[in-house]
Amino acid sequence: MTFDRETASTDALLTDLYLDALLAGAVLDVVDGIAHPDAAGGPGPRLDPAARRAADRLRRDLVRVHPSFRFEERLATRLAEAAVALRVPVAAGAEGRVVPFRPSPGDPLDPDAMVPVAQEVAEGLLLDARRRPNGRPLLIGGALTSAALSIAGAAYVAWRRGRPVRDDPMARAARAVREARLADRASKVLD
Amino acid sequence: MARSVLGRSTGPERAASAPPERGARVAHLDRDRALVEAAQRDPLQFDALYHRYLAQVYSYAYYELGDHHEAEDVTERTFLAALAGLSRFDERARPADGEGASTFRVWLFQIARNTVSNHRRGRRRHPEEPLAAAASVPDALDVEAGVATRDDAAAAWRAVGKLPADRRRAVVLRFVDEMSTAEIAGVLGKTEGAVRVLIHRALRSVARELGTGR
Repeated sequence: MTFDRETASTDALLTDLYLDALLAGAVLDVVDGIAHPDAAGGPGPRLDPAARRAADRLRRDLVRVHPSFRFEERLATRLAEAAVALRVPVAAGAEGRVVPFRPSPGDPLDPDAMVPVAQEVAEGLLLDARRRPNGRPLLIGGALTSAALSIAGAAYVAWRRGRPVRDDPMARAARAVREARLADRASKVLD
Repeated sequence: MARSVLGRSTGPERAASAPPERGARVAHLDRDRALVEAAQRDPLQFDALYHRYLAQVYSYAYYELGDHHEAEDVTERTFLAALAGLSRFDERARPADGEGASTFRVWLFQIARNTVSNHRRGRRRHPEEPLAAAASVPDALDVEAGVATRDDAAAAWRAVGKLPADRRRAVVLRFVDEMSTAEIAGVLGKTEGAVRVLIHRALRSVARELGTGR
């Protein structure tokens, strides 16, 4: 059987109207009016009876499936955890402060200079930008709530970003040694 | 023939809340606005949207994949993605938007549809077999009638399972999730007219399959 475009659209529209009424649990005579327009008061396009029977059947037999309550509870818990995680960055950001930061001007390459800085950050002190005239702003918020080592790490990263990077093997070796020393001293200081 | 998207209303939920006046007809498309705004302000409030749509999303995934475990996996990914992206969700259900007006449910099912597609790509096979869960239809007290009901349901599910994917999807969204044609068009990325034709042809195929076409 072939349908021209207009006939197909009309049939589809009638079916759609019937489904609207059927799925809304409409009054029976409204449904019957769509299905049998002659009885409803005049000639007109008639709903395909096969489509109507199939719709009635699917309405009855295609049930909505609910997952297990165990799954429902587990996913609810997972979503709640994710929701809390979504809130955390806001809270941490609200706690963060802009800290003018620069290592000791005495010897900028000396990692020993990082130790007092790490102490100050750990104590939550806002360093005086005028005392450190070339300071770079650094946002430290969540880092303060993390492990003590990450405080020293944050300080070191901020200091290192302010320096031109040498990338020869000797410099890399020196940096590795300094990192180790820095971590060791910071952990001793913060103990 | 074009009809107003905003005037459509199907399903018991919408039938119960359908406003009587023409000027307020947009309300059914905005029905989640308060919950969505609350969840955007406080992600913990997403819980209400989750419980409202859990069974619908799960049913959609189950009818698509035919497996409870896979449906659970898709459902979980869908809701987690929706929660993560909720701040970017922008309701567009306003009269000026006309066709394609968006609601949270349409957006959520677009995520579900993409998640199902990704899931299928991951497992590298397409479930063509009929759904095997017709046996889960609850027994009636009358054993004989219960068996008949289950047989009928199994036959109906088999018939739907044999439909081409786009028709099956449209039928499931229409009958199981009780979406309007406009909403299905939004989910599937088709025009309302195309969705109507899909469903009409699907019903004729089901009728032939079930032997109710004569």
